[in-house]
Amino acid sequence: MIYTLKRVLLAIVSIVIVSTITFFAMEMVPGGPFNKEKATDPATLKKLEAKYGLDQPIPVQYANYMVKFCQGDLGVSLKTGREIAPDLASKFKVSATLGSIAAVIAIIAGIILGSIAALNRNKLPDRLIVFFTTLGTAMPSFVLATLLLWFFCQELNLVPAWSKDSPNYVLPVIALCVYPMAYITRLTKTSMLDVLGQDYIRTAKAKGVRKNKIIYVHALKNALIPVITYVGPMVAYILTGSMVVENIFTIGGLGSSFVSAIVNQDYTMIMALTIFLAVLMVVANMITDIIYKLVDPRIEFN
Amino acid sequence: MKKRLVSLLLVASMAFGLCACGSRSSNGGKSSSSAKATKVNTETDTLFVNLASEPAYLDPALNSSVDGGCLAVNSFVGLYTYDKNKKLVPAIATGMPKVSKDQLTYKIKLNKTKWSNGEPLTANDFVYSWNRVINKDTGADYAYLFDVIAKKADGTLDVTADNDYELTIKLASPCPYFNDLLAFPTYLPVYQKGVEAAGGTEPGKWAQNPGFVCNGAYKLEKWKHNESMEYVKNDNFYDAKNVKVSKLSFMLSADPTASYTAYNSGNVDFIDDVPTAEIKTVKNSKEFHCVDQLGTYYACFNVGADLFKDMSPAKAAKFRKAISILIDRQYIVDSVGQTGQKPADSFVPYGMSDGNGKTFKTSKDSYYDLDKTGQQGVEKAKKLLEECGYKFTKKSDGNYKVSPAISLPYLVNEGGGHKQIAECMQQDLARLGIEMTIKSEDWNVFLQDRKDGKFTFAREGWIADFNDPINMLELFSSKSGNNDAQLGKTDAKSAPDWKEYDELIEKVLREKDFAKRAKLLHKAEKMLMDTNAVIPLYFYNDVYMQKTNVSGIYSTVFGMKYFMYATKSAK
Repeated sequence: MIYTLKRVLLAIVSIVIVSTITFFAMEMVPGGPFNKEKATDPATLKKLEAKYGLDQPIPVQYANYMVKFCQGDLGVSLKTGREIAPDLASKFKVSATLGSIAAVIAIIAGIILGSIAALNRNKLPDRLIVFFTTLGTAMPSFVLATLLLWFFCQELNLVPAWSKDSPNYVLPVIALCVYPMAYITRLTKTSMLDVLGQDYIRTAKAKGVRKNKIIYVHALKNALIPVITYVGPMVAYILTGSMVVENIFTIGGLGSSFVSAIVNQDYTMIMALTIFLAVLMVVANMITDIIYKLVDPRIEFN
Repeated sequence: MKKRLVSLLLVASMAFGLCACGSRSSNGGKSSSSAKATKVNTETDTLFVNLASEPAYLDPALNSSVDGGCLAVNSFVGLYTYDKNKKLVPAIATGMPKVSKDQLTYKIKLNKTKWSNGEPLTANDFVYSWNRVINKDTGADYAYLFDVIAKKADGTLDVTADNDYELTIKLASPCPYFNDLLAFPTYLPVYQKGVEAAGGTEPGKWAQNPGFVCNGAYKLEKWKHNESMEYVKNDNFYDAKNVKVSKLSFMLSADPTASYTAYNSGNVDFIDDVPTAEIKTVKNSKEFHCVDQLGTYYACFNVGADLFKDMSPAKAAKFRKAISILIDRQYIVDSVGQTGQKPADSFVPYGMSDGNGKTFKTSKDSYYDLDKTGQQGVEKAKKLLEECGYKFTKKSDGNYKVSPAISLPYLVNEGGGHKQIAECMQQDLARLGIEMTIKSEDWNVFLQDRKDGKFTFAREGWIADFNDPINMLELFSSKSGNNDAQLGKTDAKSAPDWKEYDELIEKVLREKDFAKRAKLLHKAEKMLMDTNAVIPLYFYNDVYMQKTNVSGIYSTVFGMKYFMYATKSAK
């Protein structure tokens, strides 16, 4: 109980630290959200800055922002004048749908492939899996996404590169899940091999426990600890979308918003997105801890 | 030991696999685009277009981007518009304006037209819309385009609706390009009740969601942010009978790979951007279009830079002149631009009107011989720099070494081929041993540094908002927010005296005799070019790709695309 309380407090502290650093860092960058190639008239600029409180000293701006934030007011985007909260919600919905499919595939396929590789060590299936996972972790997502787009959309014409109706999620899901899947496969394999060499597995074998039971009950469960450590933050990342994948497949998710907000110095948008990601990260880490405990009751948190 | 060997082998095979993969993909990409004609989209009732990513504002008053302008002119229509021959023609107006003898009063009669909800559109809608733009609370970037209109005592524009269908506009001073302004997106009418009903502190709120009232050819029906926008035909558009394609669908992407693939796969009919790497392969295709644009790509010196600290204004100008003629513009156009841009030898581009019925730029307005720039300009540039006190010794590779050494930092923004252009310039300047370094910055930071004069030499570009040289030359008046060269803004002794230029621009703005006005404009351009602070590189053009089964899309010299009279056949 005390542990949980501590965790929550710590989480709040880290979110506050992240948002403070972000706020001051973004204000330090020269330029501002109203910079345009064709200069805005100084009087109009002043009026705009006053309207959004940007004419005040930065600590005051920060205090104002945090007060509003705590009241649940994320403000409007300085670039488009749109309310941020509904915008964020609808973009997150898109990224999260895509991300959760990719995460589920990555986790399930990764664990299965990793186990297969470990159980068939140095045989053909293992070799093949190692080959493809190395490829998967080595290939940057923009290369993979571009390749998929070119091959399946332009050459085979199986799916449209873009359509006015809902976008096809197959290719973006593949582009998103290959890296984490490959990574999980490798993690599972190493840790599985580790566990299979342990004394208690030998004991189980000696006792005549069935092979399947040894693998699924005794080995796999214990082999999953490092995988869980990786999966927590991975899920948080994947849910908030990938700029590269969203841009290439024209998907209106959060990933591309991050980059455009920073490039445009859209202060309110940057803050909202950063805090959102920080919260998600913290939550993901907390859930990871809980799952640790479920998988291995020996783990104690102090 | 054995294990290590196996893993080594594996790594080797993977590396090979990767290479094979990589080369296959790049070869495949090239051959596919050059060999066959691209796939055609057969949905003839919808035109699929990619202009750019999501527009910031759909409110014509707040928009300041070209792609936003394209959306505006296709969903709103003003008093005048452009036809497919780029000619200004009446739209809501019944004919060209009646102008008083002193060129100050414009009387315009309006046709009886309707908003998309069926309500009548009257002269008062224009009075409201225009005053809304200049209201500081609206915060419109393009409010300055209304400076030519006289103001009433209460600060509002001197525009009156004599009755529902007659408008009288009083100008502050004669303006040869006023008719063009009347077709500019910022001059489009907006629906007062809609704007007021949306309320809130954000002036553009009324046009943030589909369904807002407009008066143009298409109205927005669906908007999936950062994915697509769908416009449907507005039956209340005054010229609806000539609108053949019933839907306009926009792919909202600024990723050239994505839009180019969508184009090649037949998902879109029109793309406004072609990846630079692909221009060579598509250049001779029937689908590739290249049109002139009124704009100049140039490099700009900060006249107050430390580099010129110990020079007199004349000497600094000489120094800059040497840099200018060292740059091989044709090479830049051929190797980076690649779309047949015209190398620039003046600041005001070809095709711009002089405000007196003629084109401004003639063969007389050449400030250096383009054939004698680059390699051919080396000797002359060397002589100019020698006059500035530099000494040269020839090196074994044919280039010179300069002493004292000249180091010239050049500022560019990320992307857009600016770095490649800078690299061409770098090579050109190296001929005289001048070391040009390239610094690349993020867009907003770049804009700020340029504006604050925190640079020595930077890339610039200007696409005209209206067809008159004043739009280009006014940039360098000391009052202008775009005077990045800091002419008249810096106290540096090396900077030229700029009062005369400011006076010249003021005179142009007041001059009633348009022939005299044109002369003044030429004088101003000469004065600007004589400082050599501005080094024009080439005049912009605008490329796009359009399927062969689509016709009737046209574009203006300002880059606005008109889609409403497009037709699309199945083949």
